[in-house]
Amino acid sequence: MNLSTKGGGSGFNPVLIILGGAIVLVGGYLISLLAPSLFPVAASAEAGPIDQLFRVMLFLGGVVFVLVEGLLIISIVRFRARKGETGDGANFNGNVTLEVIWTAIPAIVVVFITLYSYQVWVDIHSPKSDEMIVEVTGQRFVWNFTYTDPLNRLDEFPTQTFSDTVLHTYVGRPVRLKMQTRDVNHAFWVPTMRIKQDLLAGRETEIGFTPTMAGRFRVVCAELCGSGHGGMYSYIQVYATEQEWMERFIDPKVDLVIHPPEDPVVLGEIILKDGMNGRAYPCSGCHTLDILGWTAQTGPSLNGLGDTADRRAQGRGLADAADYIAQSIRHPNAYIVPGYNAGVMPQFGVSETEPETVDGAYYMYMPEEDLVNIVSYLCTQTATGESACGDIDAITAAVETQSQ
Amino acid sequence: MASISVPMPGVQATPRPKLSEYLRWSVHHKIIGVQYMATALFFFLIGGTLAMLIRWELLTPALDFSPTGSAYNSLFTMHATVMIFLWIIPFWAGLGNYIVPLQLGAKDMAFPWLNAFAFWLIIPAGVLMLAGYFVGPPEAGWTSYPPLSVLFSGDGQTLWIISLHILGVSSILGAINFIVTIKNMRPDTMGWFQMPLFAWAQLATALIQILGVPFLAGGLTLLLLDRVAGTAFFDPSRGGDVLVWQNIFWFYSHPAVYVMVLPGMGVLSEVISVHSRKPIFGYKAIAFSSMGIALVGFTVWAHHMFTSLTPELRIPFMVTSFIIAIPTGIKIFSWIATMWGGKIRFNSAMLFSVGFLSQFVIGGITGMMLGAIPVDIQLHDTYFVVSHFHFVLFGGSVFAIYSSIYHWFPKVTGRMLDERLGKIHFYSTYVAFFFTFFPQHLVGMQGMPRRVAEYAPEFQTLNIIISISAFVLGISTFIILFNMVWSIYKGKVAGPNPWRALTLEWQTSSPPPSYNFKGEVVPFEDPYGYGTEASRVYLDEMEKRLTPANLLGKGGAAASPEPMTGD
Repeated sequence: MNLSTKGGGSGFNPVLIILGGAIVLVGGYLISLLAPSLFPVAASAEAGPIDQLFRVMLFLGGVVFVLVEGLLIISIVRFRARKGETGDGANFNGNVTLEVIWTAIPAIVVVFITLYSYQVWVDIHSPKSDEMIVEVTGQRFVWNFTYTDPLNRLDEFPTQTFSDTVLHTYVGRPVRLKMQTRDVNHAFWVPTMRIKQDLLAGRETEIGFTPTMAGRFRVVCAELCGSGHGGMYSYIQVYATEQEWMERFIDPKVDLVIHPPEDPVVLGEIILKDGMNGRAYPCSGCHTLDILGWTAQTGPSLNGLGDTADRRAQGRGLADAADYIAQSIRHPNAYIVPGYNAGVMPQFGVSETEPETVDGAYYMYMPEEDLVNIVSYLCTQTATGESACGDIDAITAAVETQSQ
Repeated sequence: MASISVPMPGVQATPRPKLSEYLRWSVHHKIIGVQYMATALFFFLIGGTLAMLIRWELLTPALDFSPTGSAYNSLFTMHATVMIFLWIIPFWAGLGNYIVPLQLGAKDMAFPWLNAFAFWLIIPAGVLMLAGYFVGPPEAGWTSYPPLSVLFSGDGQTLWIISLHILGVSSILGAINFIVTIKNMRPDTMGWFQMPLFAWAQLATALIQILGVPFLAGGLTLLLLDRVAGTAFFDPSRGGDVLVWQNIFWFYSHPAVYVMVLPGMGVLSEVISVHSRKPIFGYKAIAFSSMGIALVGFTVWAHHMFTSLTPELRIPFMVTSFIIAIPTGIKIFSWIATMWGGKIRFNSAMLFSVGFLSQFVIGGITGMMLGAIPVDIQLHDTYFVVSHFHFVLFGGSVFAIYSSIYHWFPKVTGRMLDERLGKIHFYSTYVAFFFTFFPQHLVGMQGMPRRVAEYAPEFQTLNIIISISAFVLGISTFIILFNMVWSIYKGKVAGPNPWRALTLEWQTSSPPPSYNFKGEVVPFEDPYGYGTEASRVYLDEMEKRLTPANLLGKGGAAASPEPMTGD
């Protein structure tokens, strides 16, 4: 009736085998029922087939789990040496039929699961028609998304794109992301969309998906990129309709390019938040600034920077707060706030054509006009809300000095 | 079914080597084996302490315990490197060193001096690795992908590279030694298929090392030059390519997983057969599956790159990754069939082997899931992966190491480990292990990436459960450490063959004399031939030959101590 008494493995009881098989299959099925509760909500067209594949694998895995653990428990209970029992077990050391069975069945399952996975992969990975193209830039420790106007209203303008730190899309429209990193490798991951793709230094990589649910979903960096890696996240804002997407995101953005505000403080805020004129800066990746919702801790906090800059400027023989802020951006290693590391902040220079890296630090182009606006905005970060710096001419002079 | 598995009353015939012999250069394989294992255990404690610090940081979603993100990154970088390269791999080298020559009836390894040299490379390598903490620790993860590892990692990263280089040399020298020893030093009566399966596992491991380590060395050299000599092998802005490193690194580092787990599988083949009192089921299938795993293991590396590799290239690696499940499945079913119909003695060694089986199968199942590209796209670089490889490397390798300690400690020291402490150790480790690593699947699937000090607040509950379980797991380690130290002095005397095992290492005194065997070595025809009259006769005969009187000499006086370093 069983191996231990027959010694050769012949004579399995068919009733027991069928019963055991049924238990194992039902066990696997019950385990596979857990699948929907394990992943977060499915918010893309790709999520459906991936979740279904996972569920099938959870069923197969569940079968293996119940089978192996079940046999182990039966062995432990049935074949443990009782008190005082000192004999050996049965002497049999193989059974070709059994070995063929437990090689062949997994092999068949492997063929099935390979073909199934392949089919799902081809399905989710092939490009769709009418994709919305968004350029993605990953940079320590911030995401930036660059768009073009679908109505081509910016054709006359020097910069025909606009950017945002949030990815804005709408339900039902396939999206294709063209992704580049400005520094080290990153990985673009949206857990609710089941998509992930590395950003590789020196290459453009891409991934496509189709949102199926309106809402706001987390975008996570999944490839270790340094000290602020855990804080490198953003969101996908999925609107319910194309019209809502146009009205709430595209139109105001286009308007901002066509009618830019004139106040340098307002401009500075826009530049720091989302970028302007095709340029975006990664300040939020490392700095905290409560008013803009920045929480990163790799660099010193910018809260109350106007006041701090004023004090530091005096201590370091600089003219004023504007001088200090401009210097800190143009020459980040000139003064390192105690407790922070040199060589981490990118080099923001005046030349458009510098190489990617300068002395190990990543180089980014920042024209003087942008810096004037940024300094103007940061100067207003004071306890009283009054700017800690002089008028626009004084700030421009400070920026010019520090840009030498 | 007549044979009797009660051990005879023990006597310690050969004095243990003095402590000082372990602290100096020795070319004797048993000394070197212990040196390896003790060194590895020391690094296990270091790696474990780092793990505790990691779990402390992750009690809260914010960066608080670590002063900076960099400090946290260096924690998991060092934890992984130490555990892989200074704990599991050297421990197996040490156990193989001690046991394989004995199992083959040999006096020593084939190249004793090389053997000692390979061990003594571990010490400077370990010192260099830890010295990173004084010059700015490496913080690019144990995978050290450029550009991060070139541009944003402390000078300790350079020491990390040099240290791994030295450890690689040590591995290659050790591997040469195992291959030659296993090929040439068996007695005439022991054919390839009468060789214990632990030796087969060590052979497969050595082949992987000798084929794989040179690739790691090449990659490390390029990384070193990029860091210190201004070359641009991995710098795309000057013609380099970041994917080259990923390919080279995983070409070695995936097979390295089998370097860590195959010897453990060898341990299971010994322990399960001996303590089930039954022949191993499917000897040849197990031996060949080790070789199959070693071979196919070299073709799966890019499944670690499913989110970075060119999409079309991912498919062949999915196929090979699935295929490797088949030989692994064969082993698991063979071990269960070995237990089936046995008279299983549930001592601590057996418990940890059964524990291995029950946990490793979970790691195998999640491995299959990760092999499917669409599923891996979601799970890659999440805590699901962290969970998967800890089920394989802790639930697998470390459980097997524990099992091997309970099984062979009597041979190495001549004393038994305390069984009651052993069982407390097993149950606390088993439960704490499960609750440390199983919830990591869930938190990963929900969206928590690995290698982060800050995480979304909704993951905190699971992380607290994980951390508390991890602290219990950490504390449980001290039970076996205490047991070992206590048992060396106070443990029950083991005698030559407390398990009544058939393999050759048990057919000599415990610990074995300097040259391992007195007189002629007579292997039994089948190293796992339990349950036969012939095996009973053989064990009884050996028991007579190894009686206290015979071992101690005619007058009953202890044989004069033989220095083990002598040659």
